[in-house]
Amino acid sequence: MVDLIYTVVSLIVIVPLALFLGVVYSFLLRKLSARFQWRVGPMLRMYGDLKPLLGTSRLLQPLYDILKLYGKETVVPDVSRRRLFVYSPYLSLIFAVAAIFFIPFPGMPLLSGVPYSLIIASYLLIASILFTILGPIASGSPWAAIGARREVELFLVSELGFVLSIFAIAIARQSLVIWELSKGAQSVYLALLTVTAGALMFAAVLGKLHIKPFDMPEAEAEIVAGPYTEYSGKLLGTYYLSKAFLLYGLVALFISLFLPPLATDVLWLPLYLIAAFVLVFLLTAVQVLNPRYRIRNAINWYLKVVIPLGLLSFIIALAIWLVV
Amino acid sequence: MGIMDKARIYSPWLYHLHCGGCNGCDIETLAALAPRFDVERFGIQLVPSPRHADILLTTGCVPKQFIPMVKRVYEQVPEPKVVVAVGSCACGGSLFYDDAPENYAILGHPDLLIPVDVYVPGCAPKPEAIINGVVQGILKLAEKRAKK
Repeated sequence: MVDLIYTVVSLIVIVPLALFLGVVYSFLLRKLSARFQWRVGPMLRMYGDLKPLLGTSRLLQPLYDILKLYGKETVVPDVSRRRLFVYSPYLSLIFAVAAIFFIPFPGMPLLSGVPYSLIIASYLLIASILFTILGPIASGSPWAAIGARREVELFLVSELGFVLSIFAIAIARQSLVIWELSKGAQSVYLALLTVTAGALMFAAVLGKLHIKPFDMPEAEAEIVAGPYTEYSGKLLGTYYLSKAFLLYGLVALFISLFLPPLATDVLWLPLYLIAAFVLVFLLTAVQVLNPRYRIRNAINWYLKVVIPLGLLSFIIALAIWLVV
Repeated sequence: MGIMDKARIYSPWLYHLHCGGCNGCDIETLAALAPRFDVERFGIQLVPSPRHADILLTTGCVPKQFIPMVKRVYEQVPEPKVVVAVGSCACGGSLFYDDAPENYAILGHPDLLIPVDVYVPGCAPKPEAIINGVVQGILKLAEKRAKK
């Protein structure tokens, strides 16, 4: 009974917490990429004389962006398939929030202990991204259609890397429950697998979040704003919200699968946060150091680098399962 | 001031509408976004689609061929919105417009087509002047909300 109440309470607490962390990670992405480009970026402490007008800190800048979008007019194009266009952002948000329920946070196992939670979480993450493709296709804009098509192509290869990486870990550890995977003891062989499968998952996260070499779905100035070209106001805000949850979810999933036992006990919280910030830092470094790939180059790169790495991870995982 | 009004002031997004200038103002506008002036400090971002924008930044004197595009981009920006005209051409037509257009291909300043809220004169205006214009635009944005 106590467990049930604790789970329900933690499910309620995790939503604002995940939003806050997602917003902070997005802020870090923006701030660090600005620092890499010799800019200042959103200010952590505003200049003294501007504080009355511009607020004291911009730590929550991505949240202000979302709130502002909620206060704006929402334009629905005449040529769009209205229902799919309007509901897709909300469905994307619902799936992203549902996915974070299955990913543990230090001190909160949430629903990650249910059987097959690894598969459920990965499906929910995929479903959230699926609706960022369906909505733009329904918008009737050629730019959105091109962006969505690019997203589908990228999605196919990055998803393959994602699935190979999580199943390599699952085979090696003989479990499909995230909670069990996130608390398991480390061994030398598993550390080797963590390196290869972790690199694979990192590459997949780059594709899922549209980090720089793989940002061709939203290629600004090339295909306007890609999938989001026709979205405005509340609907765009909802997409940004689901993106913040997705960023939190993917970072949390990475830590719980590849850095056990950081996502288990509440005492690991400081190390968990440090690991998350390091991961965001690495994502930012990749973003600022790379130009945008063409879709063909991206697919080639995934096929030449990521898939062999995935197969290698699978061989290591099978060896661990059979031998160790 | 509620959190929504604050959010509107904290995160103004610009859409840069180049309607037939000489590129001088556009280069200065980009300089305002680049490392030296970096308006992202205050949450200002350049967005690629007019549907995401709060502030429409126009540069240049509108040629007649460009009339439908200017109107359409203006209509695509969701309310509340503010138009900032950057440069002498966008403010009064500069040397292309003297009571009437000086050239058969020119309509004149964008004010003849769409309501402009802030004028930033100069040929080309400095990035400081453009940032000041955008700040005036933000203040107008806050006022527009207050009226509703």
